[in-house]
Amino acid sequence: MKLRVPTFATVPPRRRRLRCLVVALAAWGAAAGCGSRPARTAKPEPLAVAAASDLQAAFPEIGALFERETGQPVRFAFASTGTLTQQIEHGAPFDVFAAANEDFIRRLEAGGHVLSDTVAPYARGHIVLAWRKGAARLESLEDLRDPAIHFVAIANPAHAPYGRAARQALEHASLWDPLQPKITLAENIRQATVMIEMGNAEAGIVARSVVAASGVEWTEVDASLYDPIEQTVAVVAGSPQSDAARRFVQLLLGEAGQRVLARSGFSPPGKGP
Amino acid sequence: MSVDLRPLYLTLEISLASTVLVLAAGTPIAWLLARKNFFGKHLVDALVMQPLVIPPTVLGYYLLVLLGRSSALGRFLEQHLGIVIVFSVPGAVLAAAAASVPLYIKPARAAIESVPRAYEDVARLLGRSEWSVLWTVTLPLAWRGIVAGAVMAFTRAMGDFGATLMVIGGRFQTVSIAIYDAWQAGDLSRANLLVLIITVFSILVLWSVSRLTGGRI
Repeated sequence: MKLRVPTFATVPPRRRRLRCLVVALAAWGAAAGCGSRPARTAKPEPLAVAAASDLQAAFPEIGALFERETGQPVRFAFASTGTLTQQIEHGAPFDVFAAANEDFIRRLEAGGHVLSDTVAPYARGHIVLAWRKGAARLESLEDLRDPAIHFVAIANPAHAPYGRAARQALEHASLWDPLQPKITLAENIRQATVMIEMGNAEAGIVARSVVAASGVEWTEVDASLYDPIEQTVAVVAGSPQSDAARRFVQLLLGEAGQRVLARSGFSPPGKGP
Repeated sequence: MSVDLRPLYLTLEISLASTVLVLAAGTPIAWLLARKNFFGKHLVDALVMQPLVIPPTVLGYYLLVLLGRSSALGRFLEQHLGIVIVFSVPGAVLAAAAASVPLYIKPARAAIESVPRAYEDVARLLGRSEWSVLWTVTLPLAWRGIVAGAVMAFTRAMGDFGATLMVIGGRFQTVSIAIYDAWQAGDLSRANLLVLIITVFSILVLWSVSRLTGGRI
């Protein structure tokens, strides 16, 4: 039996067109693949820093400082502190963890997932009452009762420290229960802010360090309504580059790091507002 | 141990409503694609199959941008009809329906295509209207594919995470969102229980589809 191999000429025109398309796509794919292949350089492996979402504005600058100082780039992963804690407990390959409070770092320390001698508070965070740019100004948490406000965005108190603080403040103001129908939980503090920015939630309680870089308006929340948010950092146990990781922590605690954090709305650790 | 099963009830409610919506919107499209030739047919086909290939989060993002409270359409719906799509159950139904409609249309279309046109012509010769032909000949003969498609759409709606999370995440917990939240909060016993329930349930559903169709779908 003679095997019939279809050649270009024997293929009907409709098929031919299809084939051309497939060949073109394959060529384009191959070209794009080559283009994106990273060039081999002597650049060291980036330092992997897990950071709470409220650091999204401040940390890229600190990463740049670190790279200028050491020549090593930094790769950040931003998420809620609870999520990152969970990931580190499951062996996520991070070198440094900058959490939004102390509890989760203590939990990791108890489990042997961070190096005890590197645990240090690096900043104190604050929550603010935020609303959409251009909307009527809110003076106090009490204003959230306004029926014109349908949704109040906060980070999920189950795993986000700023959500926990928001819940505490609302509880102390006796608003947690009455506002239940309005409370909308975001994955993290950055997402809560986006809910307000996009106009899907009229107001929310978010971090001071997040609002500065976003398009929302805000006012302070009385610091006596919630426990101090003592943001704590540690080097992750088993980090293959723990020396570099320690150096990053030093930079964060040092003058240069603290200057960047102050500009982003943080207070120095262990101090008042 | 008391277990909060509200996510399970909410998921069933959303999936049932979504399946009704998918049947209502998907059946005419499946019939058109199976029986009619018209300009732009391939484009319609590609558009309704889109949700199978684009990431569910993109689907959710589309819904948020098109129907969010500050979009033109979202504002219109809220001010004139009092319907809010984001953070609401109707929004979740819409997200689930959008994600699952291709899974219905595909088998439904194939089933309608496989009904011999001769049978339809016989009914026409006997004086039946087109509407009557559809309801008494085409759809009854295609029922297997239609039911199988509806069940697939139902299970897909039950399992949706990305699109639903984008649209209602934070106010309502479907089972998949509840599992994600439980994991994030470190409540693994709750996550395990919900995972077990949803796994057993979906195996039961798919097993019954397989029985129903003799494994031909």
